[in-house]
Amino acid sequence: MASIVAYIELREGAITGPSLFVVAEARRIADSAGATVFALLTVGPVAQVEMDRLASEISAAGADRVLCSSADTLDGPALDVTHGGLVAQVAAHLRPLLVLFPAGGTGVGLGPPLAMRMGAAYMANASVDICEEDRSPDPASQRVLLSRWRAARNGQRKIDVSDLERPVVAGLVSGPFPPPAGEPYAEVEMVPCPDAAVPDARVIDSEVDTAADLELCRVLVCAGRPTAASAEAFRAELPEGTRLATMDDSGSPALWVAAPQDLLVLPSAQDSGLPLIACAAAITHVESVTGAGAQSPELASQAGAADTELAELAAALGRARSRGGTP
Amino acid sequence: MIVLVCLETPSPGPASRAALRLASTLGDKAEVVVLSAGGNADSASFELARQTDTVRRIVHLQDSALSKPDFLTLGMVLAEAARHLEARVVIAGEHSDGEGQGMVPAALAHHLQAPLFARVQGAALPATENAGMQLTVRSGGRLCKVTSPLPVVLTTPPAPEIRSMPSEARQSSPAVETLSLAQLGIDASRLVPRPNLLGTLVPSPAETGQRKSFDEAARLLLRRR
Repeated sequence: MASIVAYIELREGAITGPSLFVVAEARRIADSAGATVFALLTVGPVAQVEMDRLASEISAAGADRVLCSSADTLDGPALDVTHGGLVAQVAAHLRPLLVLFPAGGTGVGLGPPLAMRMGAAYMANASVDICEEDRSPDPASQRVLLSRWRAARNGQRKIDVSDLERPVVAGLVSGPFPPPAGEPYAEVEMVPCPDAAVPDARVIDSEVDTAADLELCRVLVCAGRPTAASAEAFRAELPEGTRLATMDDSGSPALWVAAPQDLLVLPSAQDSGLPLIACAAAITHVESVTGAGAQSPELASQAGAADTELAELAAALGRARSRGGTP
Repeated sequence: MIVLVCLETPSPGPASRAALRLASTLGDKAEVVVLSAGGNADSASFELARQTDTVRRIVHLQDSALSKPDFLTLGMVLAEAARHLEARVVIAGEHSDGEGQGMVPAALAHHLQAPLFARVQGAALPATENAGMQLTVRSGGRLCKVTSPLPVVLTTPPAPEIRSMPSEARQSSPAVETLSLAQLGIDASRLVPRPNLLGTLVPSPAETGQRKSFDEAARLLLRRR
């Protein structure tokens, strides 16, 4: 049976939302195409009880088996020099149909070198489409397409996973963080970590990245230049997995690191030199908010416009929550 | 120490520009050489290189085989050029403005057999070529200080350009040197097209025209699946 490997990223000891999304997407593909989902967890030296807790969470998200590697060299960010050899070793052993990386940067760092080592196709900022109407009877399976926008945003690239006759390495955009879909007790297998290919390369220090949570969000709301109080009040209203990015003098740093599934652009941000083109490939949908209460283009860039829009969106969130959240 | 900056042609995207800016921060020890492949020698990439004070040489790889190379071939050719130019540090944009996949730097590092660091935010050259280069890399929710032996391949993400006052025109800018594949020891007739691994192109306009009301936007924010 074909296998799918889902890479799990930990931050401060916790599994990121996009990693759970990647496992859920791997589960969806596996259920449609007939495959086994392997989740690959890389950690520094941790207690067995902690490893079991992480494996349970991954298993509940939809993994059939959890591969876990624990070593001093893995106790840090996922760089190709420290983690690439292990991922390549797992891929060489399992010969997976698909290797999926979560949003948050691991795909950018580990994906292309892995694709080179595997002779695989690579797709950044991909989303998964399952063609339910297109079934093959024996064995029962459905077509699985990976799609992404070209960076020039003039068209989409699509890979039919079963037609390519090569494995595919893909980094997925961030999606809705799924509720648990599997059983919380997958088989856990320890994987030895190979020696680093470049032993002298190592992390010597690190500090918190202030943009860290922005690169994990599934919806990024872009506003112009609200006051600090207005932005803070709106952030308190935002649901899990969504973030607010506001423009500053250098263009919003958030836009250069995020790979959200959706970008909501408020009118006040549309006219503020928003550097959309740089991150356009990472965004599946770009929605421009308008409506009776939205500012006109002429007024949008004026002082106070962003505050008004954020207040209106917060009020709409309140109304949606009172109606049960979803249409 | 030779620092090679790979610029895409005909016009460098934000990531390539960020790569050139990173090279420009490396100080006097860096001998910055700009390298491009394919396209014309009068492209906007060279204009950018000429305007950048820190650039000492501009090298253009010219061969009909490089008119539309696949990423594997381009990576291999750039790696050979890096060897030929004795580059110790190679910097490239994280992805192009076309496909935006970022596979060329990975192919380059693979053929150069050098470690690849993505999402590099800053770098400092070592005092000697035998010492480790210090890098600041965005990874795992942290800004990590990393040390690595040379040679090394770095990629930089696109980043907003800091607007600055226009500087005075450069007194003398380097001429574009042309390098052929034969000079790199590559037989162009033996370069064969690799399989297209990009997938099928489905032309479609970008979905920038979708309009949502505030209530629809709120439902999108609350969507679970």
